[in-house]
Amino acid sequence: MNRTFKTDCIGYALFAILLLVVIPWAVSFDGFALNTYARYLALGMVAMALALSWGYAGILNLGQAVPFALGAYIMAMHLKLQASAHMPGGLPDFMGWTNVEALPWFWQPFHSLPVTLIAGIAVPVALAALLAVFMFRGRITGVFVAIITLAFLVAVQLVFIEEQRYTGGQNGLTGLAPLQLLGWRVDNYSTQFYYLVAVCLMTSLAIGLALVRSKVGLVLKAIREDASRVRFFGYDVARYETLAFCTSAAIAGWAGMLYVLVLEFASPTYMGVAFSLAIVIWCAVGGRESLVAAALGGIIVNLLEGRLSDMFVDGWTFFLGALFIVVVLVAPRGLFGLVQSAVRHAGKTIRSERGGARARWLATGMGARRIDNGGR
Amino acid sequence: MDAFLNQAFAGLSMASILLMVALGLAIIYGAMGVINLAHGEFVMLGAYSAWLLQTSLGLGILVALPIVFLMVALVGLLVERGVVRWLYHRPLDTILATWGVAILLQQLVRSVIGSESRYVAGPTILDGNLVLGGVVMSNYRIFLIFFSLAVVAATWFLLKRSEFGTKLRAVIQNKEISECYGIRADRVYALAFAYGAGLAGMAGALITPLVSVTPSMGTYLVVDAFLVVIVGGVGSLLGTVAAAGMVGEATAMFSMLMNDTIGRIAVLLAIIFLIRFKPMGLFPDKVRR
Amino acid sequence: MGHLELKNLSVQFGGLKAVNNLDLSVAQGELRCLLGPNGAGKSTTLDLICGKTAATSGQILFEGRDITGLSEHRRARLGIGRKFQTPSVFKELTVLENMEIARSQNPGILASGFVFRTHIRGRLKEVLELVELKDHVHTKAGNLSHGQTQWLEIAMLLIQDAKLILMDEPTAGMTIQETRRTGEIFNSLKGHHTMIVVEHDMTFVRQIAETVTVMELGALLAQGSIEEIENDPKVRAAYLGNEVANHA
Repeated sequence: MNRTFKTDCIGYALFAILLLVVIPWAVSFDGFALNTYARYLALGMVAMALALSWGYAGILNLGQAVPFALGAYIMAMHLKLQASAHMPGGLPDFMGWTNVEALPWFWQPFHSLPVTLIAGIAVPVALAALLAVFMFRGRITGVFVAIITLAFLVAVQLVFIEEQRYTGGQNGLTGLAPLQLLGWRVDNYSTQFYYLVAVCLMTSLAIGLALVRSKVGLVLKAIREDASRVRFFGYDVARYETLAFCTSAAIAGWAGMLYVLVLEFASPTYMGVAFSLAIVIWCAVGGRESLVAAALGGIIVNLLEGRLSDMFVDGWTFFLGALFIVVVLVAPRGLFGLVQSAVRHAGKTIRSERGGARARWLATGMGARRIDNGGR
Repeated sequence: MDAFLNQAFAGLSMASILLMVALGLAIIYGAMGVINLAHGEFVMLGAYSAWLLQTSLGLGILVALPIVFLMVALVGLLVERGVVRWLYHRPLDTILATWGVAILLQQLVRSVIGSESRYVAGPTILDGNLVLGGVVMSNYRIFLIFFSLAVVAATWFLLKRSEFGTKLRAVIQNKEISECYGIRADRVYALAFAYGAGLAGMAGALITPLVSVTPSMGTYLVVDAFLVVIVGGVGSLLGTVAAAGMVGEATAMFSMLMNDTIGRIAVLLAIIFLIRFKPMGLFPDKVRR
Repeated sequence: MGHLELKNLSVQFGGLKAVNNLDLSVAQGELRCLLGPNGAGKSTTLDLICGKTAATSGQILFEGRDITGLSEHRRARLGIGRKFQTPSVFKELTVLENMEIARSQNPGILASGFVFRTHIRGRLKEVLELVELKDHVHTKAGNLSHGQTQWLEIAMLLIQDAKLILMDEPTAGMTIQETRRTGEIFNSLKGHHTMIVVEHDMTFVRQIAETVTVMELGALLAQGSIEEIENDPKVRAAYLGNEVANHA
């Protein structure tokens, strides 16, 4: 495990430099640009969260947008209440329009910021745990997990749109107050705010790395390959899978809270099928086997989207569709896989120039390896 | 009582549409293990093909049906040859790739034809209603019910009695051994996929008089069709028929008792529970694989 | 009272009784060979003991405790280890990582969360040296040769340190020398570990066996020392007549 630890540290340090130094410097600390990048970072964070469950444990969660959107809505509920303080009964405007008389009980706790911050992570985790126990105790794997999470996603979105009185329906939650954090009025176009998001991403990444580099990550990788064999060594597979699923949900909820601060509204599109599958493709583009790469994938694809969709509106959708197909067909391991094989190839050339039977043995060994991503 | 019977007929009519959409999906999923998220887009392409043939050549739906079948089957063939065939050993990745195909096809239609709703006239010979007591049944919907059963019968014949069907079942059982006996598994898969796509296209053409045609019309249908396939069980045609009936009636009854959204949520929860407890469906194929 | 006791154990797949009222008792530290023609229910018996297959009726007692209803990982935690017929190492993981998975004395999540590196020392070092994989610890298991893969799996069983080890044709595909060394390792484990070995290779069985159990059609046919078994007319009729003639 030592060598991977070293590459991790290097990757993490480079990523930190990119986020904390290069990006702010490249946009010359322009508030508007930093806000855009803060958005990309939040999306990179949710892509990284998916890599945790998909890349390591092989759990393809097509409903990754659910914990993200829950985090987003919870933060938006708090900010909406702050913005509605002057309204009669402190009632949010859309509730007034739909004749809701009093603030419903599940809105009440979100007056408090600490409760909001905890709930933004705890609620997605609780829901994920429920779903995870339901699925993994029944030994549901592969394609079936994908379908269950997809159906769950659509159901949750329908509930949020249907319950317009409490959720703002199709419009979502808009007209939010700025966040008051320890006396600091968070300005989402400021350099400080960008750094807040960047630090959150780096922290969640460190947590994720600690998890996957411990033996837990190893057991998850083993489960991905052959779950029943892992059971015969005494590991409770369902419990490990649940942990990966829930940690992923926690980080996604966290990212969702940041996303609302960036965009200043929450919308049911955050839990749409299109958005949720987009998360999967970001993760796949970056490379699901590496958390840093997945986060980068989220940032890069969204950066591209930002640039390309300005130029041609329809073109972007074509590009996204094509990206899905091309990545799956040509580079299922994403940019990370491409870089890795390039590095290996370079290493191989150097070593075989030195000659020696050992180098040749290694090279053929590498050449012979095949990756099978079979789901069942 | 009449209200109930009318709703029951509506459910039956919905079931007939679902059956045609699901039949194609059942073949693609059951035979090849491919989760085809672009199946709804095949339905949508079928609907647009019918619209195109009617507005440009003046062909009625029934006349256009074979042409629509071939057109969408051709698209299916292209998708299989271009994308799906590389992914038979990676079922999870078929979800992602076919979703990409779905995005492309939707955007293609949106860019070329536009996103506004289109309307297609039903066949005039099937205008009018059959009235039995208080139950009003449109002739076209009655036709759909019988037509969908005819399609099932034709598919059954194709799978169980034709040489192609024998080859397909051989390839499903064991691809390598079938190839040793000279069956070209690749071609069998491609044709099966194209047939499934063609069926979806035909279903799309047939529902045009009942719904408005939009680029995103397939998205909702694919979810229900998928439920039908799962309820019906992998590789069981009769199961698919029974499941289409059940899902159609259940949805109709739910929307009568409650509203449409809750009906849809109930359908989704049913999917989740079914997969969890009966991943092989309620009417599974008896053969152990 | 044996270390492992099967009482009236049966399992049914559809109409087929794969194991039929099987009674078996294996003593602590014993190495038991399980023989029988193909389809006799040997592998299924191992599946029943380790929990891969649930019994239709009957009882499995391990160290006097009824484990019939326990899930696989609970049985593994009690000390039942299993080697499968096809080599089942984790091909995507390195040799060392495979060993870390096998070193499963603390299989809980919390314990695993604080393990960050595998130190090659103590018993782990001994085992790696024994199977000659110490120089390949960072090689992916998928890149090992067939023989090395078999050794890795045996090493994983050793480091798992299960009290009861179930092995399904451990020497399949091995060379004669490798088979002999495997036999030596098994002989050295006698006394500390209880072992049940399903095997077709009679040379190997003669090398390791104390007591042999012969199964036919899911039921016990005969039991005794290797000589007794080879001279048993029932066994000859059912099994030795065709199978051993081919193997021995």
